[in-house]
Amino acid sequence: MLDIRPILSTLHRHKVTAVLLVLEIALTCAIVCNAIFLVRQRLDWMDISSGIDEANVVAVRPVNVKPTPDMHGRVQETLAALRDIPGVEQATLTNQLPLGGESWNSGLKLDRDVAQPAMHVTNYYGDDLIKTLGARIVEGRDFNPGEYAWLDDITSGRPDVVKPHVAIVTQFVADRLFHGKALGKTFYYDDIPMRIVGVISNLARPYAFDRTTMYGTILLPVHMTEGLGAYYVLRAKPGQSDAVLKAAATRLGSLDPNRIVMTKTHFSEVRDTFFASDRAMARLLVGVCIALLVITALGIVGLGSFWVAQRRRQIGVRRALGATRGDVVRYFQTENFLLATMGIALGMVLAYAINIVLMVNYELPRLPVVYLPVGAVALWLLGQVAVYAPARRASHVPPVEATRGN
Amino acid sequence: MLKMTHLAKVYRTEVVETYALRDFNIDVKEGEFVAVTGPSGSGKTTFLTIAGLLETFTGGEYHLDGIEVSQLNDNARSKIRNEKIGFIFQAFNLIPDLNVFDNVEVPLRYRGMKAPERKQRIMDALERVGLAARARHYPAELSGGQQQRVAIARALAGSPRLLLADEPTGNLDTQMARGVMELLEEIHREGATIVMVTHDPELAARAQRNVHVIDGQVVDLSEEPRFHAHNHAQTARS
Repeated sequence: MLDIRPILSTLHRHKVTAVLLVLEIALTCAIVCNAIFLVRQRLDWMDISSGIDEANVVAVRPVNVKPTPDMHGRVQETLAALRDIPGVEQATLTNQLPLGGESWNSGLKLDRDVAQPAMHVTNYYGDDLIKTLGARIVEGRDFNPGEYAWLDDITSGRPDVVKPHVAIVTQFVADRLFHGKALGKTFYYDDIPMRIVGVISNLARPYAFDRTTMYGTILLPVHMTEGLGAYYVLRAKPGQSDAVLKAAATRLGSLDPNRIVMTKTHFSEVRDTFFASDRAMARLLVGVCIALLVITALGIVGLGSFWVAQRRRQIGVRRALGATRGDVVRYFQTENFLLATMGIALGMVLAYAINIVLMVNYELPRLPVVYLPVGAVALWLLGQVAVYAPARRASHVPPVEATRGN
Repeated sequence: MLKMTHLAKVYRTEVVETYALRDFNIDVKEGEFVAVTGPSGSGKTTFLTIAGLLETFTGGEYHLDGIEVSQLNDNARSKIRNEKIGFIFQAFNLIPDLNVFDNVEVPLRYRGMKAPERKQRIMDALERVGLAARARHYPAELSGGQQQRVAIARALAGSPRLLLADEPTGNLDTQMARGVMELLEEIHREGATIVMVTHDPELAARAQRNVHVIDGQVVDLSEEPRFHAHNHAQTARS
């Protein structure tokens, strides 16, 4: 039996306490809906694919304490030594790591004569980079050995150096610049025409703020040299990354005692570092949500207990007039449901208001409607759980209470 | 209608047992108007709370409308209270947050009655006590006599088999008390069974039959001459 009208009448006569609880529920609903949305966004962002074989990729960054006279020979010797380590599938020296934080960027033009690039991208260097990272070619081919040039030669300004004229782009770049049909097309990189010979599935940039820019990546046939933040990257056979990483660090040191290993890392650690602040923010928001929900629950328990104490005689009268214990529990649960419903209705409006503020000031997307019923159900359940103990206490008020204090 | 045989009610603590009712016997027939009188602390109110199934008893038997109630569970007792008994309390016991209409509606809602029937019964009961025009008023907006009339309407709306009144005029002035008493007499004339607890001999005299309670037992007044003097001196309710 639902007592909705009499309950509303009773609440109307206890406006202040009822309104305070409704406001508390509304504020909680609004903040929790937005916070869950923000957490969901962070989790989605943290779940973004790097496009590489993350489980098996490890990286080592050396620093040379003395100048290296034959850099090309040294890199080739080192790569040969690293590829010789048991359990290594492939190895390369690259200028940066996906999600690594430090990025080499440039602008791509579709027309040499325009001033503004059509797109800003990250450019990866390194031999056999696709195989080493475990990226996937979806169209075209990998670079041929004859297409490579050394980075120090390219940057030397010598006229005899043949700079690369081919590139591989990600599917994202292909879609954005060429409507998905990039193979064979040309773009201008540093005013040099570059023909696209391959398209790979998406490969993450070392740094990006969101999904819309994360995969703006191209690969160029450039042999990387040590220094400049370069990493030796190795792809281990499944289950052997620990041993490979350890062996790679040792091998680098043994080849040249003047080479110090500054960083040795599994890719999973790179990912963890990249998303550390997002993870902290998500945890903070979850903590805020939990704290708010607990405070709201305590508010409901407190008000429920106060009302039970205040209405003890009234509950006795109801029991005397035929209310069962279940009727008394239901009365308080219905009352809480109505308060929660009012709070949730107001909270939904507030949630959108907060969302608009976040959209305007922090470029957040619109709060999807689905978060509102989720928030509503959470608060209804919270209310019902929180009010149960006071309601049960109320149900134990004996009917003879009606005759006391006459 | 209401029959208690050798009924006992004992309040126990770790050190003492107190008999509120002892070997209590009463038989109220259908349609009777019985006044239960006695000095303060004699057990009148304990009798009424047990009669109204507001409390359990310790020993003996109690048949209400042919039902032996000692073995009933809490829900069954609630159902009997709701369907067979109408209560009129000294302090009216209206719910202050509900208006007159909603107050009278309370027991009907617990009966699961449909809204149209509830409304009909409520308005009939309020008409009968002369307060139909005050249906939307709150108890605080009514006089004591009017509040007690609302309480009577609440008791009558469910067409109970038994009306239990606990000092129904105890909180009213003489004029209001007279009005309430006349109303109870009128209800009795229409066939209701009424058991009224009172310490007021003038009120008790208007009942069809008087039952006197002393020290938790029904006594024959003719064998207890002291009772008259005692009862007249007593002003506090039991």
